[in-house]
Formats: sequence, C-alpha cells, structure tokens
Amino acid sequence: MQEKSIISVRNLVKRFGNRVVLEGITLEIPEGKISVIMGGSGCGKSTFLRHLIGLYQPDEGEILIDGQNIVGLAERPMNAVKRKFGMLFQGAALFNSLTVAENVALPIREHTDLSDEIIKIIVKVKLELVGLTGFENFMPHQISGGMKKRVALARAIALDPKIVFYDEPGAGLDPITASMIDQLILDLSRKLKITSVVVSHEMKSAFRIADQMIVLHRGKVLEVGTGPQIQNTKNPYIRQFINGEPEGAIPFIQTSDAYLKGLLQN
Amino acid sequence: MRDFFGKIGETSGFMMAGMGRLSGLLFEVFGLLFRAPFQKKTIQLRHLFHQVVLMGVDSFAIICLVGASVGMVLALQASYQLKQFGAELYTGSLVSVSVTRELGPLVAAIVLSGRVGARLAAELGTMKVQEEVDALSTMGLNPVQYLVLPRFLAFLLILPCLTVVADVMGMVGGFLISTLGLSMNPYLYIAKTFDALVLKDIYTGLIKSGLFAVLIALVSCHQGLSVEGGADGVGRATTSAVVTSIVLILVMDCLSTAVMYYVLPA
Repeated sequence: MQEKSIISVRNLVKRFGNRVVLEGITLEIPEGKISVIMGGSGCGKSTFLRHLIGLYQPDEGEILIDGQNIVGLAERPMNAVKRKFGMLFQGAALFNSLTVAENVALPIREHTDLSDEIIKIIVKVKLELVGLTGFENFMPHQISGGMKKRVALARAIALDPKIVFYDEPGAGLDPITASMIDQLILDLSRKLKITSVVVSHEMKSAFRIADQMIVLHRGKVLEVGTGPQIQNTKNPYIRQFINGEPEGAIPFIQTSDAYLKGLLQN
Repeated sequence: MRDFFGKIGETSGFMMAGMGRLSGLLFEVFGLLFRAPFQKKTIQLRHLFHQVVLMGVDSFAIICLVGASVGMVLALQASYQLKQFGAELYTGSLVSVSVTRELGPLVAAIVLSGRVGARLAAELGTMKVQEEVDALSTMGLNPVQYLVLPRFLAFLLILPCLTVVADVMGMVGGFLISTLGLSMNPYLYIAKTFDALVLKDIYTGLIKSGLFAVLIALVSCHQGLSVEGGADGVGRATTSAVVTSIVLILVMDCLSTAVMYYVLPA
C-alpha cells in the first residue's frame, strides 16, 4: 500500500501508574480510506483513540495528524488541528439541553462567523446526509439511540472535517440500525473522501467497511492488512478473535498452575 | 498512632491538592474574563441569561421565604432578650443590622449552594460521564469557557441580588412579627430600623455575597468536572459540592468579617 498517510503514529507509549497500556504503537492511517482498529476488550484501542483526538497525552512517541505533531501541542494550535477531525462517541454524547439542530449547529456557530440563516441551511444539509430531515426541533431524549448516533455523526461532519473517528459505532444498536450506520460510514468515505478511523470489535461490520484493518493486542499492533489478508491470517490469536471462540491462543479457563502463579505474583 | 498521623497527613494532602485545583480553575476563569473584551464569543450572553433565569429567577420565592423566616425568628429571640433590659425598642435595629451584615448573605449563599450548587455539580458531572465534556473539547471548545464561565458569571450576578432580597425580606419578617405578634409601635420600629443601619452594613454584606458566589460556583463546577465513574461518582460529587461549599462559606464569612470590621480602618 503506497498511499499518502494522513495520520502517522510513532512508538506511542502510555502508562497508567505501573500498568503499560500502550506499548510502542507505530502505524499509518491512509488518506481517504476506512481503517478499522480491532481488538478485544482492554487491548487499549479506546485509549489509543483518545490519544489520537488529543484527550490523552502519551508518555512517549509522537502522533502526526496531517503532518503536525499533536503531542505536547498548546491549546490554540491544537484547536486548529481539532477542526480537521470530527468524532462520533460511543454514547453519541449529544448535549441534552439543546435540540437536534442546535447540537449540529454548535461547532459551526462557535468556529465560524456565519449568519443564522446560513447555519440553518448547513444544518439541514448535514441532517439530510444522515437521513434525518425534519427532526431539527426534537430534543435528544425524544429520539432513538440509532437516531442519536446519526445526529452525532451530522455534528461530527458539521465543519467538513478531513478525518472522522468512530468509537464503537454499532455498539448498543440492533443489527439493522448498526448496518445503516456502517452504510453511512461507507457513503461518507466514498462520496466526501473523508478518512475514517473506526474502533470496533464487531467482526461482521469491520470486514464490510474496512479498507485497512489494524489488530491490537495488549497494547501492541499485532497485524495490519486488508480485510481478506486478516481473514486468512495464520496468527492464532486473530483466528480465535475472528471466529469468536472461547478456547484458543487466549485461554478462557487457566490451568490450576497458571492460576496459582497469577495469584502468588501479586 | 502511625495510622492516625498518616490519616491526618493524607487528608491534609488531599485538601491541599483540592485547593490547588480550585485555584487553578479560578485562574483559568479570570484569564478568560480578561481575554473576553478582546476575543469574540468568549462570553455568550444567551447562555449567561439562561443560567441567570435558571439559578436566580427560579430561586426568588425560596429566598423570600427563608429570608422572612430568619427575620421573624431573629425578632422573636431578640425582643425576648432585650425585654430584660427594657430595650425592646431596639429589636428593629438589631434585626436590620444583623440581617444585612451577616444573616442575609449567609442564608442566601447556603440556600443557593443547596439549590443551585448541587444542580451545577450534578449537571456537569452527568455531562462528564456521558462524554459530553470530551465531545466539547474534541470540537475545539474549551469546557471551562463553554460550561464554567457562564455559570460562574451568572452566580456572581444573582447571589448579591438575592442577598438584597433576603435582607429586605428579613427586615419585613422582623417588622411583621414585632408589630403584629409582639404589638410594638410600627412607626417606632421602622425609625429604629433605619437609625441603626449604615451604608457599610449593606456593602460589606454584598461584598461577602460576591465572595460566596465565587466559592460556590467554583467548588460546584470543579466537583462536577472531576467526576469519575458513573452514577455513583455524580452522587458523590453533588454531596461533596454542597458540603464543601457550605464549609468554605462559613470559613470565608469568618475571615471576611474579621478583615472588614477589625483589620481595615473604619
């Protein structure tokens, strides 16, 4: 793959106390493509995502977004970088005191000097993109979980970002709604050439949307490749992960020796 | 013994850390206030007025009620004691001076720390838990500027206003109980009320209420924004916001009275 990469991460290390959560992650995210970061619970994928959007500072390493290193960046230049990306949070994170339209309008209103009429039109266009025309005046608690995610997506793309991050986009949704969200991610990427970085552990959706897959395990990059490459991997851990089996490279039930050892180590 | 001193050390360490974080927040808020004239959209009047209505206008009735009750109790107790010296006449003076100097600001602050401080902590805490605060900062919006500043300013505006209401209602309460219940001469009561009152009584009371407003707003917002975990964290933050505010209000009251009446020249 010889594409231009829009995000480069080099040797990212993060420790919480004595626990090392990210152990030197190095990877490239190609521009205009959909990259899916996968891994089991606790493998550090959410922590990794929080570094990319500037919520956590790493202990070592650097993160280049569109050529600019965001590690240790001051608030004002960081805000300029933040305008280049949008983020869809797992729980949508809509502001409950604002209507759907006001939620989508918020970043536009704060970052630009556009008049209210123009903002209204932009909001309408963005809501139409996610298929929610006519819901402008609803409050977040009046709409369903899937709709909330779509509003959050409209808000994330309000300022026409180059990159959109998705934290578990299908979590907590029924299969049909989840696949609708997947379709939206695909549409945005293909039509608007937005780079998408999706953190997920749902295999089916991941294989459907991914141009590139990155498998994390215990704070390290285990394998990077296209969907078919990952599907045909020989790595026993990834095989177990894809097939969703309780037994395999990661033992579910430990042997009594290992259990005793684990207990005595602490 | 070692445990005992260890506990004391630990607690005072936590207190110091808390004070440090509070003053950090205070500096950030003041920094934003100084920048406000030069930077557009730092203070949004729409949000400010919304908060003023939520906090102030809606608290009007309860402040009236509590202020009047305090005035009544004060008049009852004072006239009972003053009777022994044949100085019942001075009930009005005593009520007016003690209400404007001390009880008005204190009662208004305590009622608002319970009514509004708790609300602030719970609101911001829930926003933190639901990733709304993270969403703000990913949009390149400073949570302190967007969430804390309007609430802080609204508090600073409304608490002195409500203190005046509490002062007036306290005097009215005292007047009603003395004339109707204790059959004092209303003209004499009013004359004595205004004889004793000097401007300093009123403005020191208002300065105090301003200081209390800063304390309550900072403590409540800080507790809200430092919530970790779920519903449990929000509950703990809310309780702690009210308890810490009330303790700090009383300490600040003692200090400011000492400074204003004993240290500074009359």
